[in-house]
Amino acid sequence: MTKIWLVARREFIAAVFNRGFVIGLLMMPALLALFAVLGPRIFMPRPVHVTGDIAVIDPTGRILPALRTSLAAETLAAHRERDGRRLLAGAPPMARNMPGARPMLDAMLGADAVIRVVDPPAGPQPAIENGKVWLRADSPSARHLALIVIGDHAIAPGDQAESDYELFVPSALDMRVLDVIHDGVREAIVTVRAAEHGVDRERIEALMRVRRPSAVTVAKDVERSAGGFNIVLPLVMAGLMVVGVMVGGQTLLTSTIEEKSSRVIEVLLSAISPFELMAGKILGQLAVSLLVLVVYCGLGVALLVSFAMLGLLDPLLVLYMFVFFFITYVFFGAVFATAGAAVNDMKEAQTLMGPVMLLLMGPWIVAFPIMREPESTMAVVLSFVPPVNAFVMMLRLASTNPPPAWQALLSIAIGVASSVLAIWFASKVFRIGLLMHGKPPNLATLWRWARAA
Amino acid sequence: MEPALRLSGVTKTFGQTIAVQQMDLEVPRGALYGVIGPNGAGKTTCIRMIMSILFPDQGELSVLGHRSALDAKDRIGYLPEERGVYRKMRVGAFLTYVGRLKGLSAGESAARGQHLLERVKLPDTIDRRCEDLSKGMLQRVQIAAAIIHQPDLLILDEPFTGLDPVSVRLLRELILEEHHRGTTILFSTHAMAHAEELCQHVVMIHRGRKVLDEPTAALRRRFDSRTIRFEPLDPSSSLDLVRALPTVESVRGSDNGYDITLVPGADPVAAMHAVTGLIPVARIELARLRLDDIFIGLVSDADATREQLRASLQALSVEGATA
Repeated sequence: MTKIWLVARREFIAAVFNRGFVIGLLMMPALLALFAVLGPRIFMPRPVHVTGDIAVIDPTGRILPALRTSLAAETLAAHRERDGRRLLAGAPPMARNMPGARPMLDAMLGADAVIRVVDPPAGPQPAIENGKVWLRADSPSARHLALIVIGDHAIAPGDQAESDYELFVPSALDMRVLDVIHDGVREAIVTVRAAEHGVDRERIEALMRVRRPSAVTVAKDVERSAGGFNIVLPLVMAGLMVVGVMVGGQTLLTSTIEEKSSRVIEVLLSAISPFELMAGKILGQLAVSLLVLVVYCGLGVALLVSFAMLGLLDPLLVLYMFVFFFITYVFFGAVFATAGAAVNDMKEAQTLMGPVMLLLMGPWIVAFPIMREPESTMAVVLSFVPPVNAFVMMLRLASTNPPPAWQALLSIAIGVASSVLAIWFASKVFRIGLLMHGKPPNLATLWRWARAA
Repeated sequence: MEPALRLSGVTKTFGQTIAVQQMDLEVPRGALYGVIGPNGAGKTTCIRMIMSILFPDQGELSVLGHRSALDAKDRIGYLPEERGVYRKMRVGAFLTYVGRLKGLSAGESAARGQHLLERVKLPDTIDRRCEDLSKGMLQRVQIAAAIIHQPDLLILDEPFTGLDPVSVRLLRELILEEHHRGTTILFSTHAMAHAEELCQHVVMIHRGRKVLDEPTAALRRRFDSRTIRFEPLDPSSSLDLVRALPTVESVRGSDNGYDITLVPGADPVAAMHAVTGLIPVARIELARLRLDDIFIGLVSDADATREQLRASLQALSVEGATA
């Protein structure tokens, strides 16, 4: 046991106490922080302020007055105010008060437009053609934003397939301005239709307004919100597991290949057994992975605390994550160690690592169907199929409809058994592969080694 | 007393290739044994089986009284043929790590590491990274790593390969020091000269089989030379009188003179007197025992031709001597 500890300690020190690891460890949170700070500035559209004219050809003669109202500056401002209140109501408290929230909100509310509705331009050609000529005269100093041609049947729509209105716009028009115009026209047409049929539109809208609450999942002994953070949680947890396994596994692979190619392996094997060497290496890299996981989890918890959202995180889920991480790491660690022992260099390792990476990344393909239906047959079956069971079970546990505890425990038991089997196989292949040089083995050869050792 | 090493009927195959076949060997405690043979003879496979790095398909092993070296690893020092270090590790840390893996405490390991670095004349390298050392310096570090825990059994696989003459001399001294300390030493080499010089006992392996297992002194007696090498003072002297001597079987030219082969049972001293009485000589000597000649003699029945084998072994001897 002392020798395993010595090997593990050396592996940990060699992996952690170097610049590359520190940079790698800090890279992801640094990138996330950078994204959090710069992301909104890069991806959030800048607020659009536009002032311009729209020309309307209204053969009904009734839509145009309504359109002047719906596109009036005060109407548009009132709509923006109402939409802004709704957005803020749905945002977390921290987000409401964070600096820069107001400009972000303005950008999210679409174009801030001042629109003047003008009569159709006169000219020698038919009205629509005259309008198009007018549109082509759009310039930054005199914006001609749109030509709207109201359809004959706009007020009393029948079964006809034609649109209720036609819309012509200049070449350089922001899509958000287009949305404002569409909304205004729609509002005007609906208002006229309601008046035509003697309907109190405001009353109907009030009657139709049903505020939708966040669903609360009521499990056997816990209740929690079914939206927002909880939708992301399964992916975050499974992602952390994959990151942890990848960090430790990759380092294990490269360090084994390095020991083999530098021929130091035989010196080690003269002092310790192959199993002790492998166990020490796996444990050492497990510590490296755990360090990464703890750092990332710590950062995650710090973020939740700062957003006053820590209460949304179930501590049992974190415990499950570490248990499943341990099982998955041991399984894949054994596989990575096997691959490292079997090949001569990283290039050869790629051939063997293809199927391994598929196993590691495969669950992501089915992640969304599983999150949507955590009790589906596929989700339940995959929860017990190693080595993907840990990921699938983690997704299900963190979902809004977690499985019963017996399923989680059975999945853990299966995971432990498969990890023990992987270690057994790896120790056999490791013993033979370490001293083998030359052509890299295929899976059949690996199996033969395992049987021969 | 239980021997330090015992191999009984050990066989190892790799696929269709028989690397070691029915190997029997017994190395008494405190002995200095040399295992010789050309490349691919099975020496390294034998040593790896002794070290329990490989496991025999058949037969039994006993190492320092244990059925496996795994049970006595802390008492065995090993210098593998394919030597390596952790390139990024510092020399002192590497020696301490190996010492600790061999069962020493941290303090003891560090102290012995420092002492051995001084012994191998590398005292200033303790804080240097292994990758910053030359190949020869690294080999000396690896030799230090093999003996850091003062083993009872020291196994060296081709220890002289790649060493410069100064390092060869240093390694010889270290081997003899360890031997005088009471360590059982087994080393393999394809450079017969090293075995001739150092070993009390020689084991020859050819194609996985042991073809010779004798003390060096007994070998000298058994394969006592019947060849006299001489160089006439006058190179144009006639050798007819020498050829006519009743104790002379044949005379043939060599690089720097002539080789006289005596008839079996002839007294070489009397023959040398007889030759010097017939013609004036610049130099005359009894040919020294050469392990490669013995080896060739032993395996001449094998399918390799005598000439091929001789050429191969001479090339190896030259390589070993220059190393």
